[in-house]
Amino acid sequence: MNRKKDEMLLDVQDLHVSVDGTEILRGLNLQVKAGEVHAIMGPNGSGKSTLANVLAGREEYQVDSGTVRYNGLDLLELSADERACEGIFMAFQYPVSIPGISTAYFLRSALNSIRRYRDESEVDPIDFLEMIRSKVELVGIDEKLLQRAVNDGFSGGEKKRNEILQMAVLDPKLAILDETDSGLDIDALRIVAEGVNSLRADDRAIVVVTHYQRLLDHIIPDHVHVLSGGRIVRSGDKTLAQELERDGYAGLGVDDARAGSRT
Amino acid sequence: MTPEAIDSWTESVRATAQRLNKADDGLRGRREDALQRFQSNGFPGRKDEEWRYTPLKKLVNGPCHQLLPASTRIPVQADLPIEAAARVVLVNGEFQEPLSDFSSLPAGIKIGSLASLRKQDSGAIVDLLSSSFPLQDHPFQSLSDAMLDDGIWIEVSTECRDEVATIHILHAFDGSRGAGSAHVTGIIRCAAGTRLRVVEEVRSEGEVLGNIRWGVALAEDSSLDRVRVIRPGCDSVFHGTRVVQQGGSNFHDLMICAGSNLVRNEVNTIHSGPRCHVELLGVYAARGIEVVDNHTTIEHAVEDCTSREIYRGVLSQKGRGIFTGMIHVHPDAQRIDAKQSNDTILLSRDAEMNSRPRLEIYADDVKCTHGATVGELDEEALFYLRSRGIQLDEARRMLVRAFASEVLSGLDPEELREFIIAELEQCIPESGECAP
Ligand SMILES: Nc1ncnc2c1ncn2[C@@H]1O[C@H](COP(=O)(O)OP(=O)(O)O)[C@@H](O)[C@H]1O
Ligand SMILES: [Mg+2]
Repeated sequence: MNRKKDEMLLDVQDLHVSVDGTEILRGLNLQVKAGEVHAIMGPNGSGKSTLANVLAGREEYQVDSGTVRYNGLDLLELSADERACEGIFMAFQYPVSIPGISTAYFLRSALNSIRRYRDESEVDPIDFLEMIRSKVELVGIDEKLLQRAVNDGFSGGEKKRNEILQMAVLDPKLAILDETDSGLDIDALRIVAEGVNSLRADDRAIVVVTHYQRLLDHIIPDHVHVLSGGRIVRSGDKTLAQELERDGYAGLGVDDARAGSRT
Repeated sequence: MTPEAIDSWTESVRATAQRLNKADDGLRGRREDALQRFQSNGFPGRKDEEWRYTPLKKLVNGPCHQLLPASTRIPVQADLPIEAAARVVLVNGEFQEPLSDFSSLPAGIKIGSLASLRKQDSGAIVDLLSSSFPLQDHPFQSLSDAMLDDGIWIEVSTECRDEVATIHILHAFDGSRGAGSAHVTGIIRCAAGTRLRVVEEVRSEGEVLGNIRWGVALAEDSSLDRVRVIRPGCDSVFHGTRVVQQGGSNFHDLMICAGSNLVRNEVNTIHSGPRCHVELLGVYAARGIEVVDNHTTIEHAVEDCTSREIYRGVLSQKGRGIFTGMIHVHPDAQRIDAKQSNDTILLSRDAEMNSRPRLEIYADDVKCTHGATVGELDEEALFYLRSRGIQLDEARRMLVRAFASEVLSGLDPEELREFIIAELEQCIPESGECAP
């Protein structure tokens, strides 16, 4: 096997994905190494959330062709929960609320599931409480939120911070943040970005999916990709994001107007 | 229902009524009236709106018309984790003094068996029964009245105003020596300003009909908090309650039932003074070909009262649920605030729910909301849980638990709540689809 390929944490080759018979991703390629931060930018409806969800294992999306290798595994063979146990984490663009399950219980169940998968013992409830307190501080949310039902009645900002809290607790190898900046005011954005930055690590890759450049002022990416029409049409370093900010997607020859209504 | 089947029930009822009437306990009139009603009405069929979805055929055509013989055997099941001031045990409808325990009962609470009251004071029992249970055409009430033998009465006097005692009542039905039925009457009376908590448990073994009815009278500003647990493994259970609430009184009722063949639960409460509140909560599960039928009526007869009702069911395999919820706001019963909801999760395509809210509102200044939802587990929520590493089966269990715990959240102590949820979960197959 090619040595260089072995170093990739995530290797997406010629990925074609459709929903309800409509092709959304049309030959997407993406390579991510551990330790890197990638930004995927693109107009609304270009397929950013589709990519994030396909990697997380959402079953409504049909993979028509292409391959996804992750950490030496054929990712497409794994169920959503297996992927999470293997270290993939997606912060949802629209986090789901679950009445009747407390955030703390949810987090502990998730952590224990992952630990069981890895043949590790379940976390001691007291240790868990201590651990979670430090993470709560990191993302700047009220500890009382832990006793409330998952995302139930949370403000937009609280939901997004809760996603980052989950990321901090579950300690993934590959985190995909889908529009984590949307709906955040500037202070919340800074706190979330600081939280993410503190989770940057040599053995972890982060893929930041965003429509706007502003998050990338706080989370400086190593690589920037522009997604349009279901493909990566340009890749570059952080200056590509600045170029986009200046000239807009149209300046890149990417037509924002072709975007679908869903973001 | 075959005519022969009805005949065998009528025969059985008549023979029992005649035997009991020999005691000359003042109840002959009541028994004969009920026998008459039963003889002419029998069991209701599908044409009867109140019983339209309730499958009684198997019970009626089966061998349960025989009375269960006396027994002291309690079906073995884990005990509910509760601490009670008194424990009352009835087996096959008979009060069992040696198995009961009144040693920590507060002085202001009296508990006795109807059988001994019948012997001691026939005037008192006649009064008690006629105020608690008006004679009516109702198949299971008629059976109870025609064969009225034993049961329990609980009286809370103003002496124990400052205490809230918990009484644990265990109805055991032992069909281990053959099929049959038992009929139990219970009466609770709370004096003005008193509070009582009852945890009632039904266990049964074998092919039996456990027919239980309660008459409850709540005086001004009194309150009754009742938890009923119909434990898994029961065959047929009829459980009926009629409550009369005086002004300012509070009736809080929680019904839990899972893993039994056929359960019909009827609650009927009448608000006859202002500022009453009633809370009717229920959580149930049916799998296999089990049926849970909840039938409630709230009579808002006077102004300024409130009611809240939530029944939630989880149906798997070919399990069936029925909910009929009547809210009746009488003319001039102004400023009533009534909320009703009935939510169902269907875990299989073969499961079935019939939900019938019935609102009859004859006053104009009334807030009354109702809603019924029937659906599968929320796919978005399932994916969210799975995307965090939680396996499908556990994710489903968590969502079912969440659904139930919204109703059970007020159930104390926590050990009891956890026990109930765990028992409920055991009655929900991992894959809701497969055959029983
Ligand atoms: N579940 C779905 N069903 C039907 N169409 C979808 C679904 N998800 C996304 N799409 C469509 O796919 C396209 C890409 O959507 P999405 O991946 O959400 O874009 P982005 O996140 O870049 O805004 C849009 O045209 C959208 O309408
Ligand atoms: Mg999107």
